[in-house]
Amino acid sequence: MSAVVSDRYGLLARVRCHDLLARVRSRRVGLTLAAPALFVLIFLYAAPLAHLLAGSFRGPAGFTLDAYGRVLADAYGRSLVWNSLRLGLITTGLTLVVGYPAAFGLAMSRGVLRSLFLASLFLPLAASVIAKAFAWTILLRSHGVVNDTLIFLHLTDKPIRMIFTQTSLIVGAANIFLPFMILPIYAVVAQIDPRLTEAAATLGSSPARAFLRVVLPLSTPGVIAGVALVFSLSVSAYVVPNLLMGENYPTLATTIAKAFLLIRDPALGAAAGAILMAIGLAVVVVSNRLSEQGGSTK
Amino acid sequence: MTLLGPSGCGKTTLLRLIAGLATPDEGHVSIAGVDVTRTPPHKRNVGVVFQNYALFPHLNVGGNVGFGLSGKGLAKATIAAKVGRALELVQMGKFRDRPVTALSGGQQQRVALARALAVEPSVLLFDEALSALDRNLRETMQVELRRLLKDIGATAIFVTHDQDEALTMSDKIAVMNAGQIEQFADPLSVYAQPKTLFTMRFVGLSSEMRGTVVARGLGQVRVETPVGAVMAQGDQPVGCSVVVATRPEHVRIGGVEAIEDNCAEGQIRQITFHGSRTRLSVDVVGAEFVVEMGGVNALPSAGQAVVLRWPAACSFAYADSSVAA
Repeated sequence: MSAVVSDRYGLLARVRCHDLLARVRSRRVGLTLAAPALFVLIFLYAAPLAHLLAGSFRGPAGFTLDAYGRVLADAYGRSLVWNSLRLGLITTGLTLVVGYPAAFGLAMSRGVLRSLFLASLFLPLAASVIAKAFAWTILLRSHGVVNDTLIFLHLTDKPIRMIFTQTSLIVGAANIFLPFMILPIYAVVAQIDPRLTEAAATLGSSPARAFLRVVLPLSTPGVIAGVALVFSLSVSAYVVPNLLMGENYPTLATTIAKAFLLIRDPALGAAAGAILMAIGLAVVVVSNRLSEQGGSTK
Repeated sequence: MTLLGPSGCGKTTLLRLIAGLATPDEGHVSIAGVDVTRTPPHKRNVGVVFQNYALFPHLNVGGNVGFGLSGKGLAKATIAAKVGRALELVQMGKFRDRPVTALSGGQQQRVALARALAVEPSVLLFDEALSALDRNLRETMQVELRRLLKDIGATAIFVTHDQDEALTMSDKIAVMNAGQIEQFADPLSVYAQPKTLFTMRFVGLSSEMRGTVVARGLGQVRVETPVGAVMAQGDQPVGCSVVVATRPEHVRIGGVEAIEDNCAEGQIRQITFHGSRTRLSVDVVGAEFVVEMGGVNALPSAGQAVVLRWPAACSFAYADSSVAA
């Protein structure tokens, strides 16, 4: 009997040793597989980024915070940051309000309807942002499709000014970034077991309460992902504010381009870029923290 | 009670109708004499234990069990006490603060049961609630659950395709086939006196032979079959084609000229050992008999020629026209 037991322990130890070896090996395999991506990231992305960051502190007399001062301590500079944030916040809010129910519609649809729905989400992603932004300028300009239709219907005598207004900017941005809100929410919502809502109903929950207590908390990971995605995309958008607002809505992104291409002030551009990156990093950190919290209550 | 039937016979649909998760095209659903056909599920006060348990993954055990209570405007302490009691009933008190995703199947099953019990429903519905558990755990849960339901005196409706579960758990069984209830009776009657061939076949094993009624009287028929003339319970008219079926434990092997009414000669084809009993498959001209023997002594061997005897009182004749071969 004791022989059997000791043999079993020997076997166990061997199994454990084998397990450890396998884990080390799998880590090595993981590193090998990630190597090309790491190479690209380190040499083609991190290095230029470091160079850019260094440039943001470089002045005629060596190290300086002058470029940051010009963005953060100056009223115009702060308006750039605020304009970027505002574009990001409003676009995120609008796409969330429109996209959340749409994601549910998509998750509940079947067959042809779902295919049409998915196609209408994915096809616009294949078109360039510039094309879409231009399409909005064509729609919204003084003698564009929308104004012509309004005049034809006698809803207005004169064309309404729509292009280069903040409304056009928000509508355009929301339209362009909407898929990035819908898709992550859809991916999460589609995984929610419909029986959970039924269970809530049999436990005395009205449909509204079942939604608030079950569906909403379970869909938050998708909402966090969608919000983080749309916010970081829209806060740093360049084409959309540039084409739909032009000079009327300077943001960090449009300023970066102008600093490098027009006024030849690389330190300013680099500083604006660094600030934008800090905002992006903050979004990543906050959304990670939030989704971890969501995960820990599970 | 239990709704018993093969997959797709409509038992789950019936359960969903009772719970209000589906609406009937016609007919009515009443609970304790009150028509609830148009009442939405959250106002019906039914407890459902779902097949996959449908526990809320974002809540812990206590949160799941308290879910149905927290919307009722009860004091926090009352809810906590009720949650505690429900968890004690299913012996899961220690697990109150665990996340439900960290529980085993049996534990999840108990939590789902506690969650349904906590709201003190007028009817408890179980949708294949035990079928995901392994055999031992399932049998333990069957016994525990039956005792628990007796203790709290709740009406419970089980849906299952597991005959043993139905026989163990219920006071009454409704055998369902293709949306129809074939028989509604206590487990003993369903097993020992199946009204239809479907029930006979579905609730346990049976040996069957086809034949034609040649005489009838006193609630019995004499049927001419390839096996020979056999007597069975039935009242089909002379000339009617019937299937005669009997349960394996009523068939005896060999022995002396016994009191049994029917007998046939056959050859043992296969012997399968099931622990407490042994199942023999016997080839008889034109039919295959299933015989069960208790004990492990004096077992015959495969290939042996045997005489089978069984009583008329335990064989049943069913009109053949209603059943496709």
